[in-house]
Amino acid sequence: MVKNKSILNRAGFLLLILCIVFFSVFPFIQMLSTSLKYQWDWGNPSLIPTQINLEAYKELLNIGQAEKSLPESIKILLDETPDLTKTQRNSIIAKYKDTSAAFPFFRYFFNSLILAATAALISVSLAVLGAYSFSRMQYKGRSTIQRGILFVYMFGGIILLIPLYKMFVNLGFLSTTTGTFIALIIIYMVQTLPVSLYMLGNYFRTIPFSIEEAAMMEGAGRFETIWKIIVPLSFSAIITVFVYSFMIAWNEYLFASVFLRGFEKLHTLPIGLKTLYVSKNAIWDRIMAASMMTAVPVIVLFMSIQKNLAGGLSAGGVKE
Amino acid sequence: MNLANVLNQNNLNRQQRESILGWALIAPAVIIILSLILYPIIYNIYLSFFDVNMEGGNTYIGLDNYSNVASDPTFWSAVYTTIVYVFFTTIGTTLTGLIVAMAMNKEFPFRGLVRSLVLLPYVAPVISVVFAWKFIFDPVNGIFMDIAYEKLGLFSERINLIGSPGAAVWVAIIFSIWKGFPFAYLMILSRLQAIDGTLYEAAEIDGANGWEKFKNITLPEVYFVVGAIVLLRIIWNFNKFEEIFLLTENVKVLSVYTYFKAFTGAMEMGQGSSLAVIQFLMLIGFILFYVKKVLKW
Repeated sequence: MVKNKSILNRAGFLLLILCIVFFSVFPFIQMLSTSLKYQWDWGNPSLIPTQINLEAYKELLNIGQAEKSLPESIKILLDETPDLTKTQRNSIIAKYKDTSAAFPFFRYFFNSLILAATAALISVSLAVLGAYSFSRMQYKGRSTIQRGILFVYMFGGIILLIPLYKMFVNLGFLSTTTGTFIALIIIYMVQTLPVSLYMLGNYFRTIPFSIEEAAMMEGAGRFETIWKIIVPLSFSAIITVFVYSFMIAWNEYLFASVFLRGFEKLHTLPIGLKTLYVSKNAIWDRIMAASMMTAVPVIVLFMSIQKNLAGGLSAGGVKE
Repeated sequence: MNLANVLNQNNLNRQQRESILGWALIAPAVIIILSLILYPIIYNIYLSFFDVNMEGGNTYIGLDNYSNVASDPTFWSAVYTTIVYVFFTTIGTTLTGLIVAMAMNKEFPFRGLVRSLVLLPYVAPVISVVFAWKFIFDPVNGIFMDIAYEKLGLFSERINLIGSPGAAVWVAIIFSIWKGFPFAYLMILSRLQAIDGTLYEAAEIDGANGWEKFKNITLPEVYFVVGAIVLLRIIWNFNKFEEIFLLTENVKVLSVYTYFKAFTGAMEMGQGSSLAVIQFLMLIGFILFYVKKVLKW
C-alpha cells in the first residue's frame, strides 16, 4: 500500500517535470517546426512538417536568391538567350535584381552585433574601473554612489525616452546616420552601465584583499593591480557581465524604434523583424526562420556562461 | 616622535591619494549616469509642464498636460490594465518559479539537462519568441485555437485572442509568466539548496506531512528571497514595454499608452512626459507601500 502510493507520487512528480519542460520549450519547437513548413502545412497542428521546406532559411541566408528576385521578363530573356557569357548574365542579374523585396537579415544582424558589442564593451570597461573603486577603496561619498546606482534600477525606459530623444535632437545627433548610430551606442551603454557596475562590484568584494596587498607590497600601482590581478581573477565574471550587457542591447526595441526612424540602413534585428511582420502578410515561415536565427546566437552565448548564471543573478545584478 | 609624525603624514597622504584615485576611477561612470539618466529625468519633469514642439520652442502651460491626461478615460483604462497586468504576472511568475524550483531541487533523471532547458524562455531575446507566441494564438493556423475550438469546442468560432484587447491582456500575462519564471526559479533554487537537510529529517521524525514541511520549513526559509523577487517583478513589469508591445499593440498598459501618445499621431511629447512622471510616482508610492506593509522593513 505504502509502496503503491510512493510509485504514484513518483509518477506524478515526473509528470510535473514533463509539464514544466513542455511549457518551457514548446514555443521554441513550434518556431522550428513552422520555419520548416510549407504554407499549406501551417494550419496542421502536428509539429513535424509533412514536407521539409528550407526556402525560408535560404532566403534569409541569401542562398540561390539571385535569379528568384528577377522580374519575369528578364528571366525569360535569360532563358531564351543561352549564348550569353557568365559575366554578361551576372551583370544583367545585378542590374535588374529587385532587392527591395528581400529581407536584409545580415545587415540587421550586423547592425545589432556592432551596436550591442560596442556598447557592452565600453560599459564593461568603465564598470571594471568604477566597481573596483567603490568595492575596494575607501573614500567619502562611496556609499552614496553605491546606493545611487541601485536607485537607477527603478527607472524604466519610457521615462528616459522622451527627454533623451529631445536632448539628442537638440544636440543635432539625429540628423546624420553616424550621429544616430553613436547616439544609440551611448544610450545602450548607459542602460547597461548600472547593471555592470553593480554585478562587478559584488564580484570584486569576493576576491581576497591579501592577493592585492601582496602585489602592492611588491611595488605595483593601483592600475597595475587592477590590470594584472583583478581582471584575470574575475575574468569569468567580466565575461558574464559582458554577455548580460550585450543581451540588453541586443534585445532593445523601444529606443531603436524611435531613434532609427528614417534610417532604414541602421535598423537592428528587433526593428527589422517587427517591420517584416507588419509589412507583409502570411510569411510565418520566414518570420520563424528569422526568429530562430536571432535566438540561436544568444542562447549559445548564454549556455556558455550558464555556470556563472545563477551566481550572477543572485548577486542581484539583473535588469530587464 | 619624529618618526611617528612622518608616518602619520604619509598615512594622510596615502588616504588622500586613495580618495582622489577612487573618485577618478568612478568619475566616468558617475558623470555618464548623472548626465544621461539623472539629468534626463529632471528634464522630463520640466518638459511635462510645457507644450513640447519638436521644431520650435516649448510653451509653458502649467499643469495643463496633467489635467488633459487625467480627464482622458483611456488613461484610466491604461492604469487599470497596468494594475491587472502587474498583479497577475507578479503572482504567476513567482508561484511558477517556486513550484519549478521545488521540483528541480529533487533528484530525477536528466536533471542537468532539464535545468538548462527551463532557462530557455528567459535567455531567448523577446523579439525571437513573440512571433512563436503570436503563431500559437493565431486564429487560422495556431495550435491553441485548434485545440480549444476544434478539439474541445470551448469557443463557438476561431477567435483572434491577440486581436481583442480584453483577451489579449491575458495572453500577454501568460507570455510574461513564461518569459519571467526562470528568473524566479533560479533565485529560489539557490536559496532552497542552502536549506539544511536535517531540518526536513527532523520534521519527518516528528511526523510532519508534505504540506506541513513546506509551510513550516521551506516557506520561512524562502520568504525573503520571494519578497525580493516580488518587488523586482513589480518594478520591472510596471515599466514593461517590449514584451507587451511586440506581442500585441492592443494591450495598452501605461508604457504602451505613453509611447503611442508621444511618438505617434500628434506626437504629444509634453503629455507623454507628464504620463511618465505619473507612472514613476505611482511606482514609488507602490514600492513604499509594499516595503512598509508587506516586507515590513
